[in-house]
Amino acid sequence: MISIHILTLAREIGVHRNTIRNWVKTGKINARPGPGKGLLFTPEGFQALCQEFQLQPEHLQFKVLTRLSAPDASPSTANPLATREEHVSEKVIGSVMVVGGGIAGIQASLDLADQGYYVYLVEKSAGIGGKMSQLDKTYPTNDCAM
Amino acid sequence: MDLDKCIACGLCAEKCPKKVDDPYNAGLSKRKAIYLQYSQTVPLKYAIDPDTCLYKIKGKCQACVKFCPTGAINFEDQGETRTLQVGSVILAPGYQAFDPAALTAYGYGRIPDVVTSLEYERLLSAGGPYQGHLVRPSDHKEPRKVAWIQCVGSRNTTPGGNSYCSTVCCMYAVKQTLVTAEHLGRGEQSQTIFYMDLRSHNKEFERYYQDAKAKGVRFIKSRPHSVEPGPHNIGVKLSYLTMDGTKAEEDFDLLVLSVGLEAPKDAQAMAEKFGVTLDHHNFVKTGSFSPVATNQDGIFVCGAFRSPKAIPRSVAEASAAAMEAARALVEARGTLTREKTYPPERDVSPDEPRIGVFVCSCGINIAGVVDVKGLSEYAAGLPGVVAVENNLFTCSTDTQELIAKKIKELNLNRIVVAACTPRTHEPLFQDTLREAGLNPYLLEMANIRNQNSWVHQQQPEAATAKAKDQVRMAVAKVARDYALERGAVQVVQKALVVGGGVAGMTAALELAERGYDAVLLEKGPKLGGNAWTLNRTWKGDEVRPFLTDLISRVENHPRIQVMKNAALKTVNGSVGNFASQVEVDGALTPVAYGVAVLATGGQELQPKEYLFGQDRRVITHQQFDTMLREQAANLQKANSIAFIQCVGSREPERPYCSRVCCTHSVTSAIKLKELNPQMNVYILYRDLRTYGLREELYTRARELGVIFIKYYPDNNPRVFTDGPDLKVEITDPILQMPLRLTPDYLVLAAAIIPNAAQDLVELFKASVNAEGFFTEAHPKLRPVDSMVDGLYLAGLCHHPKPLDEAISQAKAAVSRAGLVLAKEVMQLDAIKSQVTEKCDGCALCLDVCPYKALKLEEYRDNGHAHRRIVSDKALCKGCGLCEATCPKEGVTIHHFTMDQLKAQVDAVIESLN
Repeated sequence: MISIHILTLAREIGVHRNTIRNWVKTGKINARPGPGKGLLFTPEGFQALCQEFQLQPEHLQFKVLTRLSAPDASPSTANPLATREEHVSEKVIGSVMVVGGGIAGIQASLDLADQGYYVYLVEKSAGIGGKMSQLDKTYPTNDCAM
Repeated sequence: MDLDKCIACGLCAEKCPKKVDDPYNAGLSKRKAIYLQYSQTVPLKYAIDPDTCLYKIKGKCQACVKFCPTGAINFEDQGETRTLQVGSVILAPGYQAFDPAALTAYGYGRIPDVVTSLEYERLLSAGGPYQGHLVRPSDHKEPRKVAWIQCVGSRNTTPGGNSYCSTVCCMYAVKQTLVTAEHLGRGEQSQTIFYMDLRSHNKEFERYYQDAKAKGVRFIKSRPHSVEPGPHNIGVKLSYLTMDGTKAEEDFDLLVLSVGLEAPKDAQAMAEKFGVTLDHHNFVKTGSFSPVATNQDGIFVCGAFRSPKAIPRSVAEASAAAMEAARALVEARGTLTREKTYPPERDVSPDEPRIGVFVCSCGINIAGVVDVKGLSEYAAGLPGVVAVENNLFTCSTDTQELIAKKIKELNLNRIVVAACTPRTHEPLFQDTLREAGLNPYLLEMANIRNQNSWVHQQQPEAATAKAKDQVRMAVAKVARDYALERGAVQVVQKALVVGGGVAGMTAALELAERGYDAVLLEKGPKLGGNAWTLNRTWKGDEVRPFLTDLISRVENHPRIQVMKNAALKTVNGSVGNFASQVEVDGALTPVAYGVAVLATGGQELQPKEYLFGQDRRVITHQQFDTMLREQAANLQKANSIAFIQCVGSREPERPYCSRVCCTHSVTSAIKLKELNPQMNVYILYRDLRTYGLREELYTRARELGVIFIKYYPDNNPRVFTDGPDLKVEITDPILQMPLRLTPDYLVLAAAIIPNAAQDLVELFKASVNAEGFFTEAHPKLRPVDSMVDGLYLAGLCHHPKPLDEAISQAKAAVSRAGLVLAKEVMQLDAIKSQVTEKCDGCALCLDVCPYKALKLEEYRDNGHAHRRIVSDKALCKGCGLCEATCPKEGVTIHHFTMDQLKAQVDAVIESLN
């Protein structure tokens, strides 16, 4: 994945940054929004971009993002997501972490798993069910909560 | 604890010497330091509480290790840190119940007979500390006279309380009164709720509240100021002021504090970890138009961590969050999940039955009562049985291997498992059969635990005789079992969305973004629906920019086909495979689709009362919003503006709350006060229902000087003209005096009624409630699915709701629809109805089928006209009502045929002969 700052690209091509954003939306540029104000290109997409606008890669400022498995060794800050730019994975990961095993967490997990996503359901206690498992009956039908 | 080895036999907890308060029962009972969270917990495995376990704190004991029959406990085991790679995160940590100890006036912790609502929930529960026998803590006697105090810790701006409304407490208190009445049965009893505003604003809630009133539950509008213990510290004495200011005192046997919901105590730590922003109550901040998205891309939130809410909305939001989490990962769908593969199935139809019986001891659960050795010997003598095994735990992994091995070695073609309930364990054994090359429907289970050893502990001999009957029945039936094939439906990867308002458009757009084609039908010439008339959401965001952006995205999306002035004319087929004709300008277009989302919307009721339509100063909310938008300068000059709530709602004709009008009036009133602080603004209300975080708007309105006057339905405001003046007369229940207002405008908070959709109800065979709102499959757990498979509900057609809830419901509908669309071929269950040649088309079964899966068909044979039933395999759920109704075996259910049932009955009465 190659990340270019949207302003860099606007300057190089000579258009407004919102024009670049519109091009991304309409698909004229084959990229997707990345972290910060970066745009993410595949190597092929990047080549096509350079060809279309006759840009010279060697004069462009861009970042080649690495896989998550090779994290940057830079020291982490208090907010772990602040370093996400370096941690962006090259491929989309088909799994979701659901934090909390109450009725909401269970429903979200089921919906995802039934659609082909691997789910990590993280629950702090020894069993799932949450508060609802402590309820006797539920309104307005007086069904047993269990 | 090795989860693969633990078989939840319970020996460890029996032997554990350490007793501690059970948090599951809110500390009202004891459990051991090694415990099951609750008896049906998932996973059904014992856990060790490291804070109380003697070995963990003192380094001595390990009784559990010694007695565990499977060696599942290992104290050497250390916690480990795992790194997960995930594409999205959903935060659903829930809430914690408010701790009322800080509000000393209520006496919680000081007076024994003051309990929290969560503790009371456990007192009522059959799985609770007193097995559902309702007793009070002080003397363990039945409380005949119970009181509830609402808003404990909620709607309270003093230190120690929360300023918002917790949304759910009114309804759970009403439920607890009704369940209490059931528990106490005959004899003198009473239930009293002390409330501020009774907020029963969700679907079917108002009816439930009125029902409780009709059943004699007392509702007193007051916030009791002090609670003292009764004589000898038994019961309580409550002091309160009535509406007219009189001081009152009353004794009760038990007091329940309806405690509110608040963000979990680790909310801030979690928010920091994930970088999400919280509001000043520590709930996650979300936007009006993106209700489950946090400020971090890829991190979503649902349930009570956003704001307090009841179960149905938590469930709908969970689906919405699942949809959002999945949307970003569409290209990776299925990359990390695996489909299991099985060997080809052996055809056993020509072979004589060769039955294997596996008798489970379930540790001592069964073997402690039933003579399993004797049972095994008995089973070996039954017809067709060629192998019998007795296992300590038939569900353990090694027994699965044993079953597979025996099937192959002895060429077994049918299996009986005499153990526990098929509800939990049938899928496991079916899977073992499939792995060994047998059809999964060649299995029978005899439940000799739940239906035998657990209920006949005192009569081991009779229990053993009954177990023999059960096994004999299972063997007789399994000999007649035959292989069944699961049907399949090709799923059309396309969705139909009916209704082009915000809910419908959101659904269509999200479907399209997920990569599915969507057809959006709008009956009018323009998309947008009611949102065109709204100014701002309750959070203060402007609706117009969002709406115009949404419309342009929908109209320009290559995967969405928008059909305006369109009407659905026909519907054929069922889930996965629908076909319709759509009429646009007189021309019919065919549309094929796998799922449909109904978002047909609602409208503002045109009132008949309060001079509406006769005096142009009397207007509805939608009209007033237009005035606010276009003539703000005129309104600024007004001296006085009044609002009347519940116009057309919460009346005998429409016994539901329209949910949005209280907040709407309050936000409009704030706007007016901001335009002109001198203006007199009155809101005449019955119960002010600014639920959840909206409560702060109510507080702000009062701070700005908006005057709220309560009225009762038997004393409605009177509106008339006096010369040029518009007059509103109302009796103020606090002043106990009539008030006369002269407003420049009178705004009626008119009810929301559903748009007419009778044609759709008939076409889809869906159902609506008495007021015309579509019915969901389950009011708590499937709030977005309709009663018809493959049909989902969003927006006002389901129940009145504000914009953010309509959006999250639409997103949830897409998630639910995605479950069908995710598969190109949808597997059906094999246990379905089958019409036989004995059917003569008498049509008796048609009326009893709850799923409308049966149809009458005419056909010609040798020139004669005949009739017979046809069953739709996609709609049929195999409930068996048709088979039970048919007088001539014209329809049967696979796996429960007359032959199979007869064999079981014959087998059981054999022992009587």
